[in-house]
Amino acid sequence: MEDFLYVGKDVPRTAEINKVTGRAVYIDELKRPGMLYGKILYSRYAHARIKSINTEKAKKLPGVKAVITGYDIPDVRVGFMEDQTVLKRDVVRQYRDEVAAVAATSREIAEEALDLIEVEYEELPAIFDPVEAMKPGAPLIHELDGHGRPVKSNVLPLRWTLNVGDVEKARRESAYVVKDSLTTPWINQCCLGTSGCVAEFDSVNNLTFYSQTNVIFGAKQRISRYFAKIGLKDKKIRVINPIVAGSFGTKLDTDIYEFICIQLALKTRRPVKIQFTREEEFRTLPPRQTTRFEIEQGCDKNGMLTFRKAEAILDNGAYTSWGATTPSVMMMPISSLYRVPNVYFNAVCVYTNNIYSQAMRGYGNPQASFAVEVSMDHLAEEAGIDAAEFRMKNRNRPGEVTPMGLKITTCPLDRCITTVKEKIGWDQKRGKKNGRGVGMASLIHVAGGARVYLSDGTGIRIKVDENGHVDVLSGSTDQGQGSQTVLAQIIAETIGFRPEDINIIFGDTALGLWDAGTHASRHTFIAGNAAIRAGEKVKRQILELAVEYVPKLLKSDFRKQKKKDPDFHEPELDFTLIDNPEKLDIKDRMIFAKKAPENPNFRIDVARVLNRALNVGNGESKTVMAEVFWDPPTQMLNSEMKGNWSCTYAFGTTGAEVEVDTETGEVKILKLVAAHDVGRAMNPTLVKGQIYGAAYIGVGFALTEKLQVVEGRVMNPNLRDYKVLTALDDIPVEAVIVEDPDPMGPYGAKGIGEPGLVPTAPAIANAIYDAIGIRFTDLPITPEKVLAAIRAKKQENQQRDA
Amino acid sequence: MKGYDYYKPDTIEEAMKMMSTLDGAEYIAGGTDVMVLIKKKALSPQNLISLRNISELSYIDTDNGLRIGSGVTHSRISESDFIKRHYSALFDAVSNIGSVQVRNVGTVGGNICNAAPSADTLCPFLVFDAVVLIAGQKGEYQLAIDDFLLGPNRVALAKGEIVKGINLPALGANSGSAYIKHTRRKAMELPIVGIAARIDIDAKGHPNDWKEAFRRIDDISDMLRLLEKERFVCNDARIAMGVVAPRPIRAKKAESALQGKVISEGLLDEIGRIAASESQPRDTLRGEAWYRREMVHVLTKRAVLMALERMIHADSSNNPKTS
Repeated sequence: MEDFLYVGKDVPRTAEINKVTGRAVYIDELKRPGMLYGKILYSRYAHARIKSINTEKAKKLPGVKAVITGYDIPDVRVGFMEDQTVLKRDVVRQYRDEVAAVAATSREIAEEALDLIEVEYEELPAIFDPVEAMKPGAPLIHELDGHGRPVKSNVLPLRWTLNVGDVEKARRESAYVVKDSLTTPWINQCCLGTSGCVAEFDSVNNLTFYSQTNVIFGAKQRISRYFAKIGLKDKKIRVINPIVAGSFGTKLDTDIYEFICIQLALKTRRPVKIQFTREEEFRTLPPRQTTRFEIEQGCDKNGMLTFRKAEAILDNGAYTSWGATTPSVMMMPISSLYRVPNVYFNAVCVYTNNIYSQAMRGYGNPQASFAVEVSMDHLAEEAGIDAAEFRMKNRNRPGEVTPMGLKITTCPLDRCITTVKEKIGWDQKRGKKNGRGVGMASLIHVAGGARVYLSDGTGIRIKVDENGHVDVLSGSTDQGQGSQTVLAQIIAETIGFRPEDINIIFGDTALGLWDAGTHASRHTFIAGNAAIRAGEKVKRQILELAVEYVPKLLKSDFRKQKKKDPDFHEPELDFTLIDNPEKLDIKDRMIFAKKAPENPNFRIDVARVLNRALNVGNGESKTVMAEVFWDPPTQMLNSEMKGNWSCTYAFGTTGAEVEVDTETGEVKILKLVAAHDVGRAMNPTLVKGQIYGAAYIGVGFALTEKLQVVEGRVMNPNLRDYKVLTALDDIPVEAVIVEDPDPMGPYGAKGIGEPGLVPTAPAIANAIYDAIGIRFTDLPITPEKVLAAIRAKKQENQQRDA
Repeated sequence: MKGYDYYKPDTIEEAMKMMSTLDGAEYIAGGTDVMVLIKKKALSPQNLISLRNISELSYIDTDNGLRIGSGVTHSRISESDFIKRHYSALFDAVSNIGSVQVRNVGTVGGNICNAAPSADTLCPFLVFDAVVLIAGQKGEYQLAIDDFLLGPNRVALAKGEIVKGINLPALGANSGSAYIKHTRRKAMELPIVGIAARIDIDAKGHPNDWKEAFRRIDDISDMLRLLEKERFVCNDARIAMGVVAPRPIRAKKAESALQGKVISEGLLDEIGRIAASESQPRDTLRGEAWYRREMVHVLTKRAVLMALERMIHADSSNNPKTS
């Protein structure tokens, strides 16, 4: 293994001291001079016609600066399917529909004003079940599409079909076939900080927008398109991130509250902030949608997979955001987790009167992998093969091209599986059916970017000042995962500085070059690659300046010393050791001669060279800076949904050991081993942090979390009744880093932001099956479901015996 | 949320006087329930009278029984080693309310007066036969906790009256108690079901050091078998159930079924079944009725077992034994 100074080391997080001391400026703390507070009035019905809106009383409340409805702003559509307006004035289609908004001098006044707005509705028939909504004759959620054309069905006109090989033939020829139906619930992303933004116009309507988005340039484009429609074409837009307290998918799209905030700022000519309460966060932030999977797969008599067929129905809710594109990622495990030659996948997204959906960490992969991996266990049992052995037989291998066209380069899935087997005590514990059990599941995910936009690029600028300090202007964002630290380590390693010399500036469209967004577990991989390339340029510039100025600096040093000490003898130096950048190197910010690294005369702080190069006094001063825009060599998915959309793919296996309390139905996790292929870990502590956090969310997905949406209304809009796990729910997670440096990764790294979540739920479901012989296919696996199933099974056994 | 004025009297008398003169006034102690109501607009007081400065509400007196001032926080109760050893069910209850932050400000008086069907301290108070001490217009009077609780968020307090404290009678030497809060996770929870049990054993005719033999037993079934073999009889028992009725209630039939009987595994299962039949749970988003009833069965059994275990391990350093 190469000897690195900073890469692979547990460098402490650089930017977090401000968070733990309370100095970090989150959106909550952000204040602008004269700033007003915005609040939004939401619909009282899941589906209704608005008969009238009266804002007169609200407008008269002292402190209220603006009250707006759909009649006060241009009636234009937003969203990637252009299926909604910013404020709804004719029909509301979900409880979170925005009907009016207020800007006032305080939050409390704004809230009070909302109570004074009178809206009359005429309730319309609503539909909440996507299967019902798909039936012919079901009431249409939208009568017209984004272009004003009549709509025939509640099924979105997005085609998510992948068909490779001959599934029907393969099924006929299979020795074993299993079929399962699986469902997953609405999930709120539960960011630590709630959503919010501040919009501020200058006197000629250029906008500065403080947003938590993790796609700053995407947000800028969306606002820009909106501006073009509302008469603000060519107004300049600057999007700035405050410190962001978690994203997990919620900040991919520009949300309606952000457009409303912009409208309020425009109307009042003052900065306006909208900040959600936790209740609003639960009621109005787009959650991960519900899914229903029908999955069927088969294998031959030797246990080699023959085909996999999966059909999914996704509840889109009333409008469309990026939740509707998650089938693209669902295809990945369906087609490419384990080697399966014949694959069919089809997914439909269906409009209902539920809250509209969005992506969440894993982007569809957790739901699809739940289906694939529960079914894998089922099939292994059917074929009479140990479930771990079955996975080993069918595992992915380096060099293969999957049915979806993914080119697998590095793939230590075998090591992930064997590590889990060993650490969970698989051979000793599996198959006892005594209330305790072990199970496993694996994953595949993009780990080298994801070409979901025409550019998957990122830009980075590095400048070094005459004090030897480095400012890095990155077009990316940080949501709290530690991107600053990792990027500083990569740049420090590349240019020979120390991480503490490096200051990373994220999240400002005015400073950074374009970036596709901090999503798809892509930041370390893509920004790291750009950073290495920019760093190499910077280093080259420094060394060129060193060749020019080190001899001059040495000579002037000698002159000075001679002045002080007449007996000083200038040493005989071989300047040919430093007469070419190739002969020099930098370490700990000190320049040295490669052939005489210990020679103290040639060891000079970069700062001195840069200071000298700047202060030349003859019109030839120089400074050091470089920029790189790097777009990875990947493909968009084609019309057949095939393409190698990432430079590399991450694998991993999670093993769970559980104990089921057969009297209460409670499932206790005794151990969770998460072995993940990360290429090379840039910072092991941060990698483990990503795995721990993701595994916790995975446990919540498996056992406790469900947004209770009853007839379109969120019934548990608080952290008491929404059961995200707490710090006291000490899940014993052992994160195991499996290294196999990726040739394309920055210093070998792969992305690890999402993977930890993906295999957790199926591993737990499979462990429960091993414990009590009952296969759960509907998440979350609550004590009620477990106890009811235990009872039903007992009854079944008694009837059979009788 | 509308604005309100905030008063901080130093005595009960002063507080009651304010209540009679200020318009739209409400008492507030820790605020963990009142502030939630205000934010939800379920309560819009013009004036809030804080009881936090009233020093005569913040006593814990352990002489002959246990007397706790209504202003004592959950955290303070959970720090009392005396309560942990002797009134273990109460310790169990206050140790797991909300979060550390909630326990640091929430008071026992607040928990009683809010009288949520899920209030954690109420089941323990029911099994300890607690008496509520009330300061009224005509002076102080007492009311058994069972009579004090009227229904969901309803208690027998007249306008302006203040709960001064709660008194728990002294317990016998062979007594143990436990409270089990059944939840989905380990913090920030209301119980799906809460079960408290107290059991007193008749040790007459047994050697003075009878507990020694039991303390050497690790397995709980073995402990039960020995109790049965040695014919240990239940002298007195209380079982209380939360979230299965409009207010926490006692399972009186189950208590009677235990009274005077030789302890055995079969008996515990039986009283669990009886307690379940006495519960009247509802289907809510937090839990289904059938499941709650099942849990009453299972957890009653477990709570009595835990109480027995603690009784046996009383005076030893690891009491209360937590499962």
